[in-house]
Amino acid sequence: MKRVGITFLALGAVWAAAMASAATTVTLNVVQIFGTIDPAKVTDYTGYMAAVNLYDGLVTVDKDGAIQPLLASSWEASPDATTYTFHLRPNATFHNGAPVTADDVVYSVKRLLAIDQGPSYLFKGVLGPDSVTASDAHTVVFHLQKVFSPFLATVPLIFVVDSKTVQANVKDGDWGQAYVADHDVGSGPYMLESWTRGSEMRLKRFDNYALGWGKDPIDNLRFVVTNDEATVRSLAASGELTMTSEFQANETYTALAKMSRFRVVEQPTGTAFYLKMNTQVAPTDDLHVRKAIACATDYATIRTTIYPGDALAGPLPAVFKSDYLDTLKEPSFDLNCAKDELAKSAYAGKGPIPLTFTYVAGASFEEEIGLLMKSNLEKVGFKVSLDPEPWNRITEIASKVSTTPNVTEVFFGATYASPDSMFFTQYDSAASGTWSSMEWLNNPDVDKMIADARATTDPAQQAAIYKKLQQTIVDLQPDAFLLVQKVRHAMDKCLTGYNYVPVQSFDYNFHNYSWTCGN
Amino acid sequence: MEYFFFIVRRLMWSLLVLVGLSIVIFMIARVVPGDPARIALGPLATTEQVANLRHKMGLDRPLYVQYAVYIGGLVRGDFGQSLLTQRSVALDLRTAFPATLELVLATIVIATLLGIPTGVLAARFKDTWVDNIGRVVSLLGVVTPSFFIALLLQLLVGYYLHFLPVNGRLDPSVSFTPDITGLVLVDALIRGQPGVWFDGLRHLLLPAISLAAASLGQIARITRSSMIDVSRKDYVEAARAFGIPDLVTTFKYMLKPSFIPTLTILGLEFASLLGNAFLVEMVFGWPGMAAYGVRAILHKDFNAIMGVVMITGAFFVFVNLLIDVLLGTVDPRIRIRGARS
Repeated sequence: MKRVGITFLALGAVWAAAMASAATTVTLNVVQIFGTIDPAKVTDYTGYMAAVNLYDGLVTVDKDGAIQPLLASSWEASPDATTYTFHLRPNATFHNGAPVTADDVVYSVKRLLAIDQGPSYLFKGVLGPDSVTASDAHTVVFHLQKVFSPFLATVPLIFVVDSKTVQANVKDGDWGQAYVADHDVGSGPYMLESWTRGSEMRLKRFDNYALGWGKDPIDNLRFVVTNDEATVRSLAASGELTMTSEFQANETYTALAKMSRFRVVEQPTGTAFYLKMNTQVAPTDDLHVRKAIACATDYATIRTTIYPGDALAGPLPAVFKSDYLDTLKEPSFDLNCAKDELAKSAYAGKGPIPLTFTYVAGASFEEEIGLLMKSNLEKVGFKVSLDPEPWNRITEIASKVSTTPNVTEVFFGATYASPDSMFFTQYDSAASGTWSSMEWLNNPDVDKMIADARATTDPAQQAAIYKKLQQTIVDLQPDAFLLVQKVRHAMDKCLTGYNYVPVQSFDYNFHNYSWTCGN
Repeated sequence: MEYFFFIVRRLMWSLLVLVGLSIVIFMIARVVPGDPARIALGPLATTEQVANLRHKMGLDRPLYVQYAVYIGGLVRGDFGQSLLTQRSVALDLRTAFPATLELVLATIVIATLLGIPTGVLAARFKDTWVDNIGRVVSLLGVVTPSFFIALLLQLLVGYYLHFLPVNGRLDPSVSFTPDITGLVLVDALIRGQPGVWFDGLRHLLLPAISLAAASLGQIARITRSSMIDVSRKDYVEAARAFGIPDLVTTFKYMLKPSFIPTLTILGLEFASLLGNAFLVEMVFGWPGMAAYGVRAILHKDFNAIMGVVMITGAFFVFVNLLIDVLLGTVDPRIRIRGARS
């Protein structure tokens, strides 16, 4: 009997060992620390990387920017688009086993608006504390304060928290901020296992995830914080790394591509790279000066030699397919055109025209672009002052029109899957004073078109407005449209499922990934 | 008794130094470019949201009021909230400080164990090939930046040889939280987990060696020159004339007085490494206080910057005081001079 018991124990141990070895772990490096995992406070790409794995929204976004069901299995909008009703999946549970109910959604929205950080700015003037109500346990209704057509595109950023757990941990009316900063209270595909701030975060698969699991899921995730290229290479060489961040140096991608285990996956994104021109100060307040700068931009050299990317014809990247104006002509480098435009400007004939040109200090590719621009612009009659500034300083000087440089190199990507995110944030007068709107366009026609598109519920009409808006902005030339950024990762050949998603870091939802090499 | 008052006087001066440090850093942190509220809220927050947070943080109040509020909190052990990690700075430091302390302790152990014998040997065999090798190694250690050594070791040992881990404090497969002292090696010993201890040691080696190179060189050079000075003293000549064995003369009669400048350097190195370890911490993904401090500066995280500087400053002052006491123990003449001053 004793021998049988020992045999069973031994078999059990072997089985347990086999199960342990069967777990797949994906290790990914991130280049900045996870500031917070509180979904009401996240603002950056690492924050959202954690949020999309720990939490679920009512809906989510796919690679084409289309809204897809998540906690809500279906939804409908009222004819006047001021009321949205979401029907929750009955089987969805939080990581602690509690069911996800409409009350949790109501509390999550109230909490988001009360804390007034993270994505709450999207809902200013659209949702109030009492705008969301629960009709029954699985039906939640959003009453909008005004028509806001991109509303559905912003809903994926409302992550649902377990209201009972949060409320049980509220201290001094803090909406549970201290607790949620360290604990996962979500229903997402992964659960927080451990988090060493500044070093790594580990997540493990939530077996009872409402959407279920497909074949060969990823069991464990490990995010390693390092922006050091040598460390990334060493981790890859030692077999510890499965996937790199999207921010590695060319040399690292090349080195990893040479390792048999890795492949480099490259996809176009919804992030565009602009030379933003201050339209309110001399000399870039003159349309011909701006056009001259655009003509003197060597797009091909920048895209092919300095920073890899696809052509950008206007303010909107082509990823927004239905709203994209495909008749726009790709800009080209032509110094004669630059000279002609400059000759038409009010500043012509008065000697070299002074121009301030700013880029992020320490970003070598931005410096190379600055030097290239200086060389070309000085050939046509500008006197360029290159002013590298730390990013924090750029955000500060962007707050006043008088301190905003003539030209600044800036990347901008959509925060939510709607062209509104690209247009309102960069070109609307109401959004002036941030790094994303360093053009200070303040154009009533542009403002009106953005407002009209927001108030229109007919997609065809909206697309028509957006197309007209793109042409208007190209004609006003507040930017030189440099390129559409490509996203690159070196990843293990066994890891599949990566697709760029045009919202925050939603492409790192590892529920969509699988490990195809067996275990 | 006089010596006791000397120590108390030093303690009072130390407090004054810390108050001065807090004022200087408080002012400097506020002139670094960038609005902390804007940085914390993200680039797309509205102006109204930024203004609200500035008000909540008290940034719209006069500087002296902000300073008074900060110092009031500090006295109660409250370092304020970090904008970057969105939790109390004290809590952040509670996990980050032991990580750096463990790294610095290992660094000092390596530097001392290798630096002193190198210096002694170089002095004992002055102007021979042993001395020359010792001097070259010491000089290389001092002039080579620690991050360069870190990258070199990482590439050699991690990339090519796969001999030692190059990231973090423990292997991903090891589930262990150092929640007793915060030091992995100590906590693993207390809990009787030799596997964890060994894994922690393997992770500690490369960063500690990278960081130790400069201190090692410095200690070896100081020990060498002190030993050479002492070797010319009359009592050493006398010892030799009496036929006392060379080994005994070197280690019993020469090393102790030669150790005084080395001890001073050791103390200063120990304290300065706390703040200077950031590049090595960054390279090896070591979740320490130095890397935390650098991130705080980049994000203009006022309270975190103040917290790191105050802890480093306090440590610096404390170690200096400790060295004074130790020097007094090693050399009674220092104790008497201190008491009379």
